[in-house]
Amino acid sequence: MSPGKTKGIGPYLLIAPAGLLLAIFLVLPYLNIGVMSFRVPGQGTPYGEGFTLVNYARFFADSFYIWQVVNTLWIGFLTTAICLVIGFPVAWQLTRPNMRFRGLAYGLVLSPLLVGIVIRSYGWTILLGNNGLINRTLTNMGLIDAPLPLMYNALGIIIALVHVFLPFMILPIMNGIQGIDPSLEAAARSLGASRATAFRRIVLPLSMPGIQAGCILVFVLSLSAYVTPSLIGGLKVKTMAVTVVDALIDTFQWPFGSALALMLSVTGAIIVVIFGRMTRMKWKVA
Amino acid sequence: MSRPFLTGYCLLIYAFLLAPILVVVGASFNAGAFLTFPPQGLSFRWYVTFFNNEVFMRAIRTSLWVAFVTMIISGVIGTMAALFHVLHARRSKDVVRIAMLAPLLLPEVLTAISLLFFVYAIGIGTQNMVGMIIGHVLITLPFVFINVSASLESFDPSWDMAARSLGAPKLVRFRRIMLPMIKSGVIGGCLFAFIISFDIFTISFMLKGVGTSTLPIQLFDYLRTNFTPEAAAVSTVSIVLTLTVVIISEKVLGLRIHRF
Repeated sequence: MSPGKTKGIGPYLLIAPAGLLLAIFLVLPYLNIGVMSFRVPGQGTPYGEGFTLVNYARFFADSFYIWQVVNTLWIGFLTTAICLVIGFPVAWQLTRPNMRFRGLAYGLVLSPLLVGIVIRSYGWTILLGNNGLINRTLTNMGLIDAPLPLMYNALGIIIALVHVFLPFMILPIMNGIQGIDPSLEAAARSLGASRATAFRRIVLPLSMPGIQAGCILVFVLSLSAYVTPSLIGGLKVKTMAVTVVDALIDTFQWPFGSALALMLSVTGAIIVVIFGRMTRMKWKVA
Repeated sequence: MSRPFLTGYCLLIYAFLLAPILVVVGASFNAGAFLTFPPQGLSFRWYVTFFNNEVFMRAIRTSLWVAFVTMIISGVIGTMAALFHVLHARRSKDVVRIAMLAPLLLPEVLTAISLLFFVYAIGIGTQNMVGMIIGHVLITLPFVFINVSASLESFDPSWDMAARSLGAPKLVRFRRIMLPMIKSGVIGGCLFAFIISFDIFTISFMLKGVGTSTLPIQLFDYLRTNFTPEAAAVSTVSIVLTLTVVIISEKVLGLRIHRF
């Protein structure tokens, strides 16, 4: 960009601190956790000497963990799908050129991001709990006799996760739609396409990159979410991230915890790659 | 979708986004020990309890301190990296960008676990706040990078060349041309780094030492066993602190913070 580029090592001193920090405290730890998952489980210590496959064997031998991964992926999938369905119209409206109160609406979409995740999850426990606002109000109105099971189950976790991650769906889709040349839609309309057809054939395919980015972001975030499933799910429903963190904090099973964390991350990554391939194909066909 | 229908639908979603936050704020002013609707009257008693609770007050001080140190470190090295990325990187441009955004793209829980093992492996441990602050810097670095890069994209190199042809030395050019250009990006990125750091949970949870719990950690621990509205008072104060930073940056300083 700048024609006045200086030669020599000068410019590299600018990137050196960030580069070193990432290399030492991000790349090395990730390599280390990979090695850790092959360590021998320790007796009284976090891990023992030597290497083994026993941690992975324990994962595949126990259907409890496999089901937990499946369950976590399912919660992540539903959260992503719901975020997409309820978020798209909001993103669409926010990009309409003649929208009033756009600044305010945009601020409302962003506002949850500024409130800590513990606080937002706590808000949902106040709303969804057995003694929570929703159940008490319904009971007082005489509509229900026993509290509805809104918390300590997958339903509660998904409601709260959708809330926590919805902005991460809306913002990329907005960026995608904003990049579409409005004259394309106008051209389709002037050639006789109905509003619905123009939307389906022009806007939707062209906003695919934004949709794809939003879906991947929300899916990855929901898989690794700890606070929300932990506070809303309680001891009854545990997602994989909760099991992993508890295994490390409470019982110090470092090698096994590493194997669990990596199995979840690798499964998630594979799904993201497959999803990326599939949506790109569709996008080309359309 | 017809227009009024779409508007109504979006209002519903905005209500959904705000509901849990408003409920927390509302609960903090509730007089009763349990949250009910309609509330049992207005009271500041939970704020009094909170301000007299040394555990929470220490957690707030820890959080502010960690966020401040994180902001300074992230601000400096993130700005330097953005300068390199926009002005000097050629073939390495994409690599630098992806590397700088990596902490955002990787699952935070995996980063936290990896870092926990690593700080023990190299002997830093969790006795002090070093490991935790390193983690906070990793997470906040992308935000400084994005903001400073964005402010640099509109930088016209001909200004710098004009100054150079007029004989301005390198340092003067940096101070008089570059710095005013990137100032808003740097301040915006730093303030956002502060807010993000103040709210970071997973990294702090894994890397906290004895007596170095930040506010989100203390709140989480409290919520696992208690249900009194004191937690709501703590949350409301935390929300107000964050809002103050945002309002200062957007209204007083007139900044537009880039979040993505």
